[in-house]
Amino acid sequence: MELEGLVRRPCPGLRGLARGSRTAAVSLVNAGVQPAAVSCLFPLPADIISTVEFNHTGELLATGDKGGRVVIFQREPESKNAPQSQGEYDVYSTFQSHEPEFDYLKSLEIEEKINKIKWLPQQNAARALLSANDKTIKLWKITERDKRPEGYNLKDEEGKLKDLSTVTSLQVPVLKPMDLMVEVSPRRIFANGHTYHINSISVNSDCETYMSADDLRINLWHLAITDRSFNIVDIKPANMEDLTEVITASEFHPHHCNLFVYSSSKGSLRLCDMRAAALCDKHSKLFEEPEDPSNRSFFSEIISSVSDVKFSHSGRYMLTRDYLTVKVWDLNMEARPIETYQVHDYLRSKLCSLYENDCIFDKFECAWNGSDSVIMTGAYNNFFRMFDRNTKRDVTLEASRESSKPRAVLKPRRVCVGGKRRRDDISVDSLDFTKKILHTAWHPAENIIAIAATNNLYIFQDKVNSDMH
Amino acid sequence: MEFKLEAHRIVSISLGKIYNSRVQRGGIKLHKNLLVSLVLRSARQVYLSDPCPGLYLAGPAGSPAAPPPQPGEPATGTPAGWGEPPPPAGRAAWPETESQPGRPAVPDAPRAGDTDPAATPAGCSAAGSTPLKKPRRNLEPQPGGGAEDAEEEMETGNVANLISIFGSSFSGLLRKSPGGGREEEEGEESGPEAAEPGQICCEKPVLRDMNPWSTAIVAF
Repeated sequence: MELEGLVRRPCPGLRGLARGSRTAAVSLVNAGVQPAAVSCLFPLPADIISTVEFNHTGELLATGDKGGRVVIFQREPESKNAPQSQGEYDVYSTFQSHEPEFDYLKSLEIEEKINKIKWLPQQNAARALLSANDKTIKLWKITERDKRPEGYNLKDEEGKLKDLSTVTSLQVPVLKPMDLMVEVSPRRIFANGHTYHINSISVNSDCETYMSADDLRINLWHLAITDRSFNIVDIKPANMEDLTEVITASEFHPHHCNLFVYSSSKGSLRLCDMRAAALCDKHSKLFEEPEDPSNRSFFSEIISSVSDVKFSHSGRYMLTRDYLTVKVWDLNMEARPIETYQVHDYLRSKLCSLYENDCIFDKFECAWNGSDSVIMTGAYNNFFRMFDRNTKRDVTLEASRESSKPRAVLKPRRVCVGGKRRRDDISVDSLDFTKKILHTAWHPAENIIAIAATNNLYIFQDKVNSDMH
Repeated sequence: MEFKLEAHRIVSISLGKIYNSRVQRGGIKLHKNLLVSLVLRSARQVYLSDPCPGLYLAGPAGSPAAPPPQPGEPATGTPAGWGEPPPPAGRAAWPETESQPGRPAVPDAPRAGDTDPAATPAGCSAAGSTPLKKPRRNLEPQPGGGAEDAEEEMETGNVANLISIFGSSFSGLLRKSPGGGREEEEGEESGPEAAEPGQICCEKPVLRDMNPWSTAIVAF
């Protein structure tokens, strides 16, 4: 699959995205304004993207950042007049979701960083998403307004009350079209449900409930009820000194509203059935791979911690990411994963340095494509990797400014580990570990991917031949 | 030998991380601290089990180590989760050079940490009960039971205190943080919730003359 195209996330102060040149085959937007490009070179901590999520149709793409903001992009609809503008993502709405808070009881500052965004399935004209920071989840309703009433009897155009003596006849206000305005409002705030840091949220397929997981507990909420939630998993030991593992990620099954999975820092997955008991501490299935004793090191426990778990669209498989690998698990087989892919095994000998600079704690996410045939995950040096499950081929690509020129086709990259070195290879020692791709998302139906590289968002799409249109 | 040096280095790094996590914005991250404590335990095991006693300088004969009576040390040994069989010949003589300047500061750590009831977080075992605690069940598939012996063989009071602080396992690390760093359930009632904003368990000594190892010890 050839990928090309780029959208760069607006840096603060940049209003819209300048449209670059395009061809029939490619749609892209290039934010080529120089001052903005310069400011993007020195990312403000608040601009670092912390989560990326497509909605269920792929029309909208939401990003959250460390400063508590949410930016939503919308895909331009195909238009017969301008077929080349199909598939561009433009900024749709920006709003401040969470603010920094202070817990006075514990003298704890609560970060405003958005940990996760999940879209709700669309049920009417309005759209909704859940955004979560460490402690609080908020439900945001996004509505569009493209008409406004004109011709009030009692108010003039600015809204000031008219002098009644000037009103001589009655008129019926008329709805006139106006520039599209996107309005966002917080409809629910689900607070005080978590003692520990929320790491994941997942909307149930019943469209009525969702769950939120922190390090030790998982709560089930109803989307309409904010003052209480059910605790469905609690792995907090009676004595905190006996703590050996924490919950790292969780997700509802895409079709079975009673099933969910959660991953642990020990590398295991637990599938739970909510019909079995109110408190799902006892798993229905435990997915765990025995450790390879030849790979044992000081850091074995850290690198086996699962950082992300995702059900396949079919619901038959699960994808997990730990520090060095991605694994595909079959729900019917608990003993070991059915597929294991090495993301960056060349780092195995460097674990001590990665521990020192804290990189070993990086939590990479993973993603399925729409047909569950390709899986994707991020790595360092702004590289991201894709693995084709059918052909067993994999590719390493880079999300960078150099590859962001219009119509640029991404070139596969290679990390050389010694031995023969080709011209464009990068050696392990020259990898930039500050440039990490932790958050990636794949369009639910098409071959469009969103890659978050620190404070930049890259959107790539499959090269479409012009004669297909 | 290299394993011991490597382990030593990893322990220092881990201690630094735990110390820094206390001042991080957003509070202590449970997951990261758990992983760091696991690494710390692995490194400690290697360090203690590696039979190279000659690496370190012998301590002064009159070293007031006497580990057993130390208040900071559990009388019945550390939780089995931290235990390992005492190395027969590997009585690790911790670096002694820094024991002198380090000692004034370190005793504050166990005193503050273990005897101050206000420091007891609600969900953790009370500090005062640590010495009386029964050996906990062995959560890890390790040869257990030798924990207390390993502790008693420590030669310096500093190290014994350090081991005991970590010997009280995971919460021991969290407990040392300023009150704001702990994450406990609201509503738990046992003991007054420690109001320790800004209270540091050990004095900050003059670090200029100390080597990194003692700095790490003193940090706790």
